[in-house]
Amino acid sequence: MQEYSVIVENVTFGYNEDMPILKNVSLKIPAGKTVAIMGGSGCGKTTLLKLISGQIRPSLGTVTVLNQEITKQSNKQILELRKKIGMLFQFGALFTDMSVYENVAFCLKEHTDLSESMIKKIVAMKLNAVGLFGTEQLMPQELSGGMSRRVALARSMALDPELMMYDEPFTGLDPISLNVSAMLIQKLNKALKQTSILVTHDIESSLKIVDYIYFMADGKIIAEGTPMDVQNTDNPMVRQFIEGKVNGPYSFEYKTNLDYNTYLGIL
Amino acid sequence: MQKLINFLAALGNPFVGFILHLGGIFNLFLEIMLSLAYPFKKPTLIIKEIYFSGVRSLVIIAISGWFVGMVLGLQGYNTLQRFGSVSMIGSLVALSLLRELGPVLTAILFASRAGSGITAEIGLMKATEQLDAMSVMAVSPIKRIVVPKFIGGIISVPILACLFNTAGIFGGYFVSVVLLKLDNGTFWSQMSDSVSLHEDVINGIIKSFIFGIAVTLIAVYQGFIAKPTADGVSSATTRTVVGSALVVLALDFILTALMF
Repeated sequence: MQEYSVIVENVTFGYNEDMPILKNVSLKIPAGKTVAIMGGSGCGKTTLLKLISGQIRPSLGTVTVLNQEITKQSNKQILELRKKIGMLFQFGALFTDMSVYENVAFCLKEHTDLSESMIKKIVAMKLNAVGLFGTEQLMPQELSGGMSRRVALARSMALDPELMMYDEPFTGLDPISLNVSAMLIQKLNKALKQTSILVTHDIESSLKIVDYIYFMADGKIIAEGTPMDVQNTDNPMVRQFIEGKVNGPYSFEYKTNLDYNTYLGIL
Repeated sequence: MQKLINFLAALGNPFVGFILHLGGIFNLFLEIMLSLAYPFKKPTLIIKEIYFSGVRSLVIIAISGWFVGMVLGLQGYNTLQRFGSVSMIGSLVALSLLRELGPVLTAILFASRAGSGITAEIGLMKATEQLDAMSVMAVSPIKRIVVPKFIGGIISVPILACLFNTAGIFGGYFVSVVLLKLDNGTFWSQMSDSVSLHEDVINGIIKSFIFGIAVTLIAVYQGFIAKPTADGVSSATTRTVVGSALVVLALDFILTALMF
């Protein structure tokens, strides 16, 4: 078994050359561990997930996933690699023209030769694992936000991926659904012994279930460590984020060259 | 000097955009061609698309064809009467429909009814990350979403055109024979004398097949490049309908010049 499931080395990426989203980012995700990537909105967390899943390629640097350097892989090779990767999208991204059963069975039907009766059993097991056994015939429109997220979790787990990525899994959930989701992520990761990457803002839930944390700001990794390290850190940006302080090095105001008073004609 | 440069840039930008779109459509067409075999392994995908694009367009196509045929019958009757050639009404209706109106109007109606739906569906899938999810699950959205819609479209359009023509001929028959009391035998015999299977019927079907390719390709391409917002999807569906109508009319001129 490899030591690290994901190695990101000196990665720079931007949709526009003048405005890089990620600036010389390096990180390592150990195999079998749950790692959180935290940071404010727009700091480049989701972009990092897209790089790891091969949806986009870095302008500079290398990304190695499950021992394969995806920056050098062809599209076909990346598609093969993705069969070992699961991803939970922020709002589930369930296929709205398919029932819950068809959504969870999607990967199994596309990538395996299993019989329909076997697929039916696997889907039932996956739905049972997320507490939604019996919802097979429902359509995504008939599910609540939390249920959609859990169906999406069951779908992303269908092929028992080696690497699981969660993009803001707790956003928009009520406290009960949030705790259920956190508990499920922890339970499934332990059961399947997979590597997990969580991109999240939710400090309280994440600190309970992750082994290691990377903090990002302005496209860079600014701090890293175990949940204990992070809780005791002196880094002012991380402290501001954890404590949710309005004032601090992390500004909520948009950076602009315009002067507000001059703009209003006051000065 | 700067004004001249700005003027030239303003002229050049839409042209460059047009060329980029052409390149994008051509690339998509190549990808579709390379993935054509995929949906035949899952024929239900094609059947579903034929149902969505073709079967659900049947009523609008039949009603439109019927009314177009009635208008042709009425206008033809009034015009031919002046020259004492009312007996030619059957030929006029059939040839107008088979050669031009059937394929062209079917393609334009198809673009409005099914093409806009295809664009909106793909655009919304993009906006709600469904295409990304599919791609991350190692399934190509081109193979799974685009190719079945493309095949469904190119099968549906010629069949719908045949239905349009049939409904149109009966619409013309209804006006000229039932309402205006033209002789029934004259209507059908003139038609069968002047209509050639190869020259008129087959060429009409070939036209509608080519229009089907053009309209469906524009619809899936616009869905794919739609901005993932409500406004973006709305603009993309409009571009599908307008672009398809223009392309169909331009192609019709080229095909007519080559065929007849």
